[in-house]
Amino acid sequence: MSRFFNWFRRGSLERGLDRELQYHLDRRVADLTAAGIPEAEARRRVAMELGLVQVREEVRDVWLTRWLRDFLYDLRYSARSLRHNPGFTATVLLSLLLGIGAITAIYSLVDQVILHALPVREPERLVLVDWKGSEGVTYVTGSSNLMPYPICRELQQQTRLFDGVLCRAEIQVNLRAGGDPLPVAAEIVSGSYFSVLGVGPALGRIIEPEDDAAPGAGPVVVLSYDFWQAQLGGAADIIGSKVLIGNHPMTVVGVAAAGFRGVDVGAVPAFWMPTSMYAVANLDTGDEDLLNGHTRWLQILARLRSDVTVAQAQAGLQPWFKAWLQDSTLRPGFPRISADHRREYLATTLELTSAPQGHSVLRERLSQPLWLLFAATGVLLGLACLNVAGLFLARGSARGREIGTRLALGASRGRIGRQLLADSLLLAVAGGVLGAAVAPLAIRGLIAFLPHELAANALRATLSVRLLAFAFFVSIAAGLLSGLAPSLRAGGDGLVSSLRERGGTGFGGVRLRKAIVTLQVAFSLILLIGAALFLRTLTGLVAKGPGFETSGLLSFTIAPTQNGYSDGDASRLVRRLDEQVRALPAARSAATARFAVLTDGHISNYVTIQTDRRTVSDGFVNFNAVSPGFFSTLGVRLLAGRDFDQRDSRPPGEAGPHSAIVNQAFVKRYLSGRNPLGVLIAKGGSSNVKPNSPIVGVVADMSYRGVRDQSEQVFFPLFNFDDTGATFYIKVRGAPEQAIPSIRSLVRQNDPRLPILWIRTLDDQVNRSLSTERLLAALSGSFGALALLLSLIGIYGVMSFVVTRRTREIGIRVALGATRASALRLVLRDAVTMISGGVALALPCVAALGKLVQSQLFGVTATDPATIAAAAMVLAAGALAAAFVPAWRASNVSPTDALRLD
Amino acid sequence: MPPPRFPIPQGTLDMLILQILSLEPAHGYGIAQRLEQISHSVVQVNQGSLYPALHRLEQKGWLRAGWKQSETGREAKFYSLTPAGRRQLTVEKDSWARLSGAVNLIFEEGSR
Repeated sequence: MSRFFNWFRRGSLERGLDRELQYHLDRRVADLTAAGIPEAEARRRVAMELGLVQVREEVRDVWLTRWLRDFLYDLRYSARSLRHNPGFTATVLLSLLLGIGAITAIYSLVDQVILHALPVREPERLVLVDWKGSEGVTYVTGSSNLMPYPICRELQQQTRLFDGVLCRAEIQVNLRAGGDPLPVAAEIVSGSYFSVLGVGPALGRIIEPEDDAAPGAGPVVVLSYDFWQAQLGGAADIIGSKVLIGNHPMTVVGVAAAGFRGVDVGAVPAFWMPTSMYAVANLDTGDEDLLNGHTRWLQILARLRSDVTVAQAQAGLQPWFKAWLQDSTLRPGFPRISADHRREYLATTLELTSAPQGHSVLRERLSQPLWLLFAATGVLLGLACLNVAGLFLARGSARGREIGTRLALGASRGRIGRQLLADSLLLAVAGGVLGAAVAPLAIRGLIAFLPHELAANALRATLSVRLLAFAFFVSIAAGLLSGLAPSLRAGGDGLVSSLRERGGTGFGGVRLRKAIVTLQVAFSLILLIGAALFLRTLTGLVAKGPGFETSGLLSFTIAPTQNGYSDGDASRLVRRLDEQVRALPAARSAATARFAVLTDGHISNYVTIQTDRRTVSDGFVNFNAVSPGFFSTLGVRLLAGRDFDQRDSRPPGEAGPHSAIVNQAFVKRYLSGRNPLGVLIAKGGSSNVKPNSPIVGVVADMSYRGVRDQSEQVFFPLFNFDDTGATFYIKVRGAPEQAIPSIRSLVRQNDPRLPILWIRTLDDQVNRSLSTERLLAALSGSFGALALLLSLIGIYGVMSFVVTRRTREIGIRVALGATRASALRLVLRDAVTMISGGVALALPCVAALGKLVQSQLFGVTATDPATIAAAAMVLAAGALAAAFVPAWRASNVSPTDALRLD
Repeated sequence: MPPPRFPIPQGTLDMLILQILSLEPAHGYGIAQRLEQISHSVVQVNQGSLYPALHRLEQKGWLRAGWKQSETGREAKFYSLTPAGRRQLTVEKDSWARLSGAVNLIFEEGSR
């Protein structure tokens, strides 16, 4: 590397060498003349014995190795010639800038969301422990990979496999540190959490095993560095102070190291608290003893011992886990299940997967769209490289005489090829620098597309070293790719022919250029089809809508148990608010649901159905509980039977059957061909479930988790259910925004300290729910448009070139009596060959790639013939139009002009 | 007529330069002269190869160079040994001793 810098000080090095050699010469001459040799003779002899030219060259080789020196001279020559060709240079730079900028921006998100290892000690040794095959037996709440706490505790004993085991769950609580209570995300973690991750405190101490020794043992929290800085101004006296979680006082014992944001990329926890304090966290699982029960509510991460592989650890765990499973069926609280179920349960296994990036909901949601976009930008960059290669070939043609002359003077083909490669590398690196410069802007644009609550805090639009390295690597690769074809071609036509060519036309490479354009057509067709598919998905989802009327609809959520309410108090508050909200002057109608729709949250389970025989649903059914008037408020049509009314309400705690309403999809799947009204159903699929809820109504399908969602749903009356938290839906008169202040004051009158979560219009929620689809449609659409533009430029360029070369031939044909139309056909035939070749190449690729995108689509298959045909038509029409311009010019050639061209 | 001088063996020039400079700093011409003196005029150094060798050793970090006033009063580029160069000299001396020892052993074996 130090040699590389010698290039920049070669002037002073040369001067130094000159002085040094001059000194030697003068001394030697002086010595020789002193010995009696005449000065002229002495000078001649000294020059001979030293061999000045040779010495200089050899010393220069020491400064910069030969190849480096040649390469640097090549670069200098390239820079000079590119400066003299600003139009060409600008076109190439723009192509590369687009290609490299786009892929760098997408890679930044891929890196942050998917690839980036946690900032902890040796993240590559972390594994996620997951329980496979037990979904039907144990009660699962919330997101994925959840485990019961006892497994975590017992895994910690497996010290011959693990250096440590931690468990954690994400929680939403109200934190009060001085001012008003803030709804925040946090992590509830085992005492081993920080030590297993190897994360220390920035201030005070971290959570330790003693904090987690027994239920209620550690009323302490460790704040995250970000929260401490942003909300508490980084006050150093925070250690030892009290904060309220809900209404439980907890002591701040420390602040975690800066830069550590937990094990979930995308979540930004405000603090960590020990699992011993689960009662404070209001996990809403219905399980009284989370530390010993069967409820799965945490994720487990383990640190492998350095001499143990993932497979060894997984195999090593199974004997212990078999015994644990046996054991667990005997413990109190284990559900009564059938013999079949029991066998299934005992056959379940633990699965370990390497998890250097931790566990992330954001990643699960975004990784596929991001990889798709990454692949699309890869194709786009490939297209840009092909474009540049085409431009280089065109320039190579124009420089044919120059290159021929250099070959005649003795330059080797390799040497000239290297010169051309230097051109493309120089341009690619320049394009890369520009691309990296615009990347932060592009990344910020990308993040704006993503759901705010998921991405805004977790993703950053900054250039990291990794990102720069990536951009540099991509630029070099792009330079090599785009320079390779032209430099291999250099001088390929043979010396004599290239010198014999008349000025202007230069040597050929027509076939290579046609191949490049064919590839471009194929690439851009793939991108166009992708864009069309995602656009159809988005428009299809927008047209379908959530299945209810969103305009004028507003919703807000409260979670009183997070603020320390008992279940009874919470239930009473929800009922009171339900009545008060209905009575608001701004409310046309209002209703309440246990779980908010369109937020991806849901409760699901099997359903047992009793008709003339007893059946269990073959998949999960989504549940919600709603108050009377819910369906009419949302404008969901009642297809049969009746809505819930006061008859269905029952005071909390009072047992007995209650009624149910199911949606159309449920009837279609499980009760097709029979009258659903009066059929008895119940939540759960095990043998001890008693179906005792009669279906009293059937409603049209509506979205639950998201707009895409077309699931089977069962609704129970709200006030019969655990109504400890709720989302209120209000159909307002006039603009929804104007109703917000009155809602806020209503809640404040009931409890000034209770925060309102998510007060939003439903229009806004539908928009948010479609953010991924919108991202895919917008980006793939713009990539498709860019790709189309690039390939049209390519076609136009190569057709113009072909036409110029064939002007004479066409002139002769016309002179001999060919019509203009036939001349036009002659030229267009070439274009049609390239276009159809490209389409033929693209179609099998589309078929192969289809499987990858299918899960992101809605209402259209990846190989939908109409979409593919439309995209191909657009491309073909554009390409023919681009080819038509030069063809028209050719057909208008006057024979005399064409023949005089020589 | 002086006895014919034989050319310096391949690869030993670097070692000799290091050896000379281990005594005191010197400029290129001085090194050339000293090479001849030390070796009692039996070794002939191609003067053309001296300067590339000096620059190579400097590039490797074994020599340090600086302009100083020479004995004639003119500025000359003086080379001196760096600590790394001193270590390299020991290494080379060592391997030279082993090589020549081995060669001697073979010769004695043959003469017996």
